[in-house]
Amino acid sequence: MRSLTVFRKELVDGLRDRRSVLSALLFPLLFPLLITFMFNKIAERDREAHEIDIPVYGAERALDLMDWFERRGYDVVDGPEDAQAAVRDKVHDFVLVISADFVEDFEAGRTADVELVHDGSRKEASQAVNRARSLVREYGRLVGNLRLIARGISPQLGNPIGIDEVDIASARQRSASWFSFIPMIIIMATFIGGMNVAIDATAGERERSSLEPLLVNPVSRRSLVLGKWLAASMFSAACVALTLGSLLLALAHVPLQQLGIQLHIGTREIVGVLLATLPLSLFASGLQITLASFARSYKEAQTYLSMLMLMPMIPHFIASMSSLGDAWWMLPVPALGQHVILTDVLGGEPIGVGSVLLVVLSSPLLGLLCVEITARLFERERIVFGR
Amino acid sequence: MIEVRGLVKRFGDVTAVDGVDFEAADGEVTGLLGPNGAGKTTTLRMLYGLMKPDLGQVRVDGIDTVADPQGAQGRMGVLPDSHGLYLRLTAREHIRYFGQLQGLSGADLEGRISVLVEQLDMGAIADRRAEGFSHGERMKVSLGRALVHDPRTVMLDEPTNGLDVQSTRAVRGLIRQMRTDGRCVLFSSHIMQEVSALCDRIIIISAGRVAAVGTPEQIKQQTGHDNLEDAFVALTGLDEVTT
Repeated sequence: MRSLTVFRKELVDGLRDRRSVLSALLFPLLFPLLITFMFNKIAERDREAHEIDIPVYGAERALDLMDWFERRGYDVVDGPEDAQAAVRDKVHDFVLVISADFVEDFEAGRTADVELVHDGSRKEASQAVNRARSLVREYGRLVGNLRLIARGISPQLGNPIGIDEVDIASARQRSASWFSFIPMIIIMATFIGGMNVAIDATAGERERSSLEPLLVNPVSRRSLVLGKWLAASMFSAACVALTLGSLLLALAHVPLQQLGIQLHIGTREIVGVLLATLPLSLFASGLQITLASFARSYKEAQTYLSMLMLMPMIPHFIASMSSLGDAWWMLPVPALGQHVILTDVLGGEPIGVGSVLLVVLSSPLLGLLCVEITARLFERERIVFGR
Repeated sequence: MIEVRGLVKRFGDVTAVDGVDFEAADGEVTGLLGPNGAGKTTTLRMLYGLMKPDLGQVRVDGIDTVADPQGAQGRMGVLPDSHGLYLRLTAREHIRYFGQLQGLSGADLEGRISVLVEQLDMGAIADRRAEGFSHGERMKVSLGRALVHDPRTVMLDEPTNGLDVQSTRAVRGLIRQMRTDGRCVLFSSHIMQEVSALCDRIIIISAGRVAAVGTPEQIKQQTGHDNLEDAFVALTGLDEVTT
């Protein structure tokens, strides 16, 4: 019951604190910003890919190829003689150089060479380079097939093995990789939302010398910390809900379908995300309250807790560099388990009840452990009186 | 009623409180007098149950503060050494919060808050947030929340420290009123005038020990000085006393 009193007081105090409210309100705006930015980037790239100009040196030697490019909707421009310098100086992403022997070789039925000059270290050019490469290859295959047919040979003879790629990733899973940052940001929301309240309720009490009078009241340390923990968790949970809301709002206003990206967030996904993430709020706030209790001032606590903020980013970065795998022990690890579940939920994967239980139960239990540790810290004279 | 027996507190090699014994009776004002660093605050912290003594015993109305700190804390009103406020709460909300933590609620609590607002002359600031309160206003709020549960035993650590004349007189008035009500009031101070003006009994502490106990008259007799300040200097071995 006394915990409820503390909870209410910290909630009112937090709601009157502009810093606490702003951080819980501003963070959710990140989603609309990021998604709009990404959408524009993707759209821009698609547009660019269609607008590649093909710089060719020696275009007059391969007029049929130039014709082919133009029929496919690309503009051929005159390439410089020193193709390598032009690529090095970034005048062009690549230059096609038609070799001097091209006409002779082509007409004699020998392999005629086309040089594709590009810089493999320039990632931004790779899309255009690949496009040019596949256009030339496609043209070559077409000419080759025509030649075989003219000689009464089936083109299939020249293609003894065909590769049919079967990508078992669903369209949703492929799209999920586009939006792999969504779990990270939702998980970060749990750490951002309650941070200021967690600091204010612990290091803040020490800084403004209000801890000593508070502890003189006949209330157990555990009840006090429990109330503070619940208040911070409440802010954290509100931030998660707002973040998810703003994500839905942003997605509703971006024509993802047109870009071939499928991200379906319906009732199942919303329930799944909330079910996995809200318990994490209890852990994030618990850990923050414990760590902030060691700090004598708001600033000191902020230093500790901003380092803690890196924690939810770790699974995302590991996942983006290599596969995270899916060992069962990952599920009860706070933030990591959420990352696994959120990625699966958003990718449309089925989730087992056991997995959900591991994720849902571990965070509150670990949060309670943090409460117990903090309650003991508040028994220590060095924490209560140390300033 | 406060009973203190053989209280010892060490911080590393330093013995801050070194065998303090005394009693403070109901219906009396007891002053804990001593120079800065004599161990007054440490003694009080053990009395109100936030510090554990290395040796000795404290009993408030018969309740051991080590064995049952919360039981003892429910019977005492404390103005600790540090008494910061929550800047975003109003004066009334401070008192209400502490009242609820003491287990009060509803009409009882609201009635008690009104009495304190009246008694401490806080009408003008009762519903203002604590941010920007003067030193005296902050002290009033701190006293209000310490006394919200109408405690029988009251411990005040330097209650007039840094207050202006008017606020000091208000606090003294409050202390006298509490004595009339039959409470046990223990307050610490390093200011001679204050102690001599208010106290029925004085406990002089020096270097963690009790140097003298008694009424102001008894202490003057013990030391052979006819002025309390000289007696204090003689007992604590100080050349100069803050007045």
